[in-house]
Amino acid sequence: MAFAYLPQENSIVMRNKTPKISRRNFLKTAALASAAIAAPTFLHRAWASSREKELNILCWEGYNTENVLGPFRKAFKGATVRAESATDDPTMINKLRAGETRVWDLINVNQCWARDQMFPEGLIKPLNKEKFMPYIQKMMHWFYNDKMGVNPFALGPNGELLGMMQRFGPFSFVVNTKKISRQTAEDQGFPMFLDPSLKNRYGILAYDNWNVMHLCITAGINPFTKLTEEQFATYSDVCKRIFAGAKLITADLVQMNQALVNGEIDCYFTGGTYTASPARFEGFKEVLGISPKSGPINGKGAMQWFEITSLVNNPNLSPLAEEFLLFVQKPEICKAVAFAEGTYNPVSQMSNPEVFKLFSKDELDAIQWDTLEEEMNRSVDYQICPDNDRLTAIYNEAKRTRSS
Amino acid sequence: MPKTGFLFSIPYLFLTACFFVIPLLLVIWFGFMPPKTFSLWQLPTFTNYSFIFSQAYIKSLGWSFLLAICTVILLLLICYPLAFAMAKVFKSSATFLTYAIAASLFIPENIRLFGWVIGLMKNGIIGGTLKLFGFQTDSLLYNIPVILLGMCYVYLPFMLFPLVLGIKMIPDQVREAAFDLGASPWQVFSKIDLPLSMPGITIGSVLVFVLSIGAIAEAKILGGQAIVVIAADIETEFTYGQNWPLGSALSTLLLLATLSLVFFVLAKINLAKILGKSEH
Repeated sequence: MAFAYLPQENSIVMRNKTPKISRRNFLKTAALASAAIAAPTFLHRAWASSREKELNILCWEGYNTENVLGPFRKAFKGATVRAESATDDPTMINKLRAGETRVWDLINVNQCWARDQMFPEGLIKPLNKEKFMPYIQKMMHWFYNDKMGVNPFALGPNGELLGMMQRFGPFSFVVNTKKISRQTAEDQGFPMFLDPSLKNRYGILAYDNWNVMHLCITAGINPFTKLTEEQFATYSDVCKRIFAGAKLITADLVQMNQALVNGEIDCYFTGGTYTASPARFEGFKEVLGISPKSGPINGKGAMQWFEITSLVNNPNLSPLAEEFLLFVQKPEICKAVAFAEGTYNPVSQMSNPEVFKLFSKDELDAIQWDTLEEEMNRSVDYQICPDNDRLTAIYNEAKRTRSS
Repeated sequence: MPKTGFLFSIPYLFLTACFFVIPLLLVIWFGFMPPKTFSLWQLPTFTNYSFIFSQAYIKSLGWSFLLAICTVILLLLICYPLAFAMAKVFKSSATFLTYAIAASLFIPENIRLFGWVIGLMKNGIIGGTLKLFGFQTDSLLYNIPVILLGMCYVYLPFMLFPLVLGIKMIPDQVREAAFDLGASPWQVFSKIDLPLSMPGITIGSVLVFVLSIGAIAEAKILGGQAIVVIAADIETEFTYGQNWPLGSALSTLLLLATLSLVFFVLAKINLAKILGKSEH
């Protein structure tokens, strides 16, 4: 019989009996139970400790360049830093919504998303105010001043600090001043694009979630209030006219600047320092971001943006995330962020003389520094429109049917 | 007892189910979720489909189909003579040509299209050269013909290589026999070359059609969105629109329309017969 060779406790007879608790059995069971209990903790610790030298950043282009990441890697030797850029805010936020909060440590998007969507949805977590306020208090007056305190877009409902502000700029439209003077563009504002003489002489930069606001302004409507049916009809008519008159539509700012410089178009809808600066820095000073003098938003007709970089609500957030936010406050890194690859933008830390002195005359000219103050003061914040869904649907329909 | 062949196919079936069938089913299911939501676990609804039919998405779909069909026809006309030459006329130079055309696939599509932008833009390579001789030209970009040019350029290898293989399958003896029996070149082409190269024509056409219907970069980069193709609409819903269910519903419709057309065409063509298999 085969069973004859088995140890007694493994026999069928023994299995049907209540096992005796021997010292050996007890120790074996206890060891296994302890291992089972300790395993998740151990694995979690192993996972957590493995993230101490890892940082994943989801950002607009610039923060992902070697100019910014290189010095950080040097300062934090052995750190594995991964940065991925996108060309629109919703795509980045959707990654977090799709469950990638466990992947990313930092997210860098435009001002309205942190307060209005990401924080209420639990996608980001607040910063340590004590640690970061000293830096914010030194920022340019649009981001912190004694009267306003911290810019409200960076604050949660209970005063939580939702992120750090850095790059910013006016964003309305761009002209070739050899064809349209700054004075004319600023005076006429967005309705200029409805002028029949401009038909087929302008492009549309397809930053769709921006354009709905600018199209409202073109129609003489404040996009940040609930619209009436009559206003929707006006908006729809303006959308169709703007799309019908466009020479080209592209989401590529380089292609748009190229068309502007080589005379294919005279201006483009929409754009600003962010889009005009690369061409200006290359010497095409005729490419100029315009902030109209007036409009339907409490008298204002121009817009501006600033980025907020927030901590992702990652259950195992890398400790390097906060370190990175502190690191990019250094003057030379502020400059690197401002003049990273792709686009050039002012940064909130330029109020600090140590930062400002790092910019050359040509660089300041590229970001239209001489008119920045008046342009920003003419501009309203980029926000999510209350009727955004319907406005976007009308916008997309106008784009689809433009060739009919 | 299961056959060994079936047992060996289990890993493949598992991978196909995990990485092809399930994602596809998820996209179809997502199309029935309420608009602007991000969860798969909600009550299904037809809202996205009713919205699609209340808007002009059919126009985008129409443009995509029209461009894809035109691309297939143009590429057949362009590639057939070239494929014939590569298969039957050129000897050693055919290999060089194959490598040269295949090499273009190693360069990202967007970069190749931007090359065309530099060539065709106002005062670009073509415009600038003509200007030297006193001819002032406007931009050649941002219209429908230039989108077609881009699509033909990008998808040329996908038509050419199946055609070359298809034409290589034609036995030279059959053609020689036809000529010996007094057939004219046109008769040889229409009665022998064309029917016998039909597998290559079918595979190349289906491949180019399916790729072209999802093409997006040509209409954006070269066409300046003179028209909006359905792939651009889908991209908009998944990005700026933040409306994944609507994007999924559009993707499902595109998939259905493409599959219907491809299966309709394949049903008309007896693939088994032209591939030389016997019918039962």
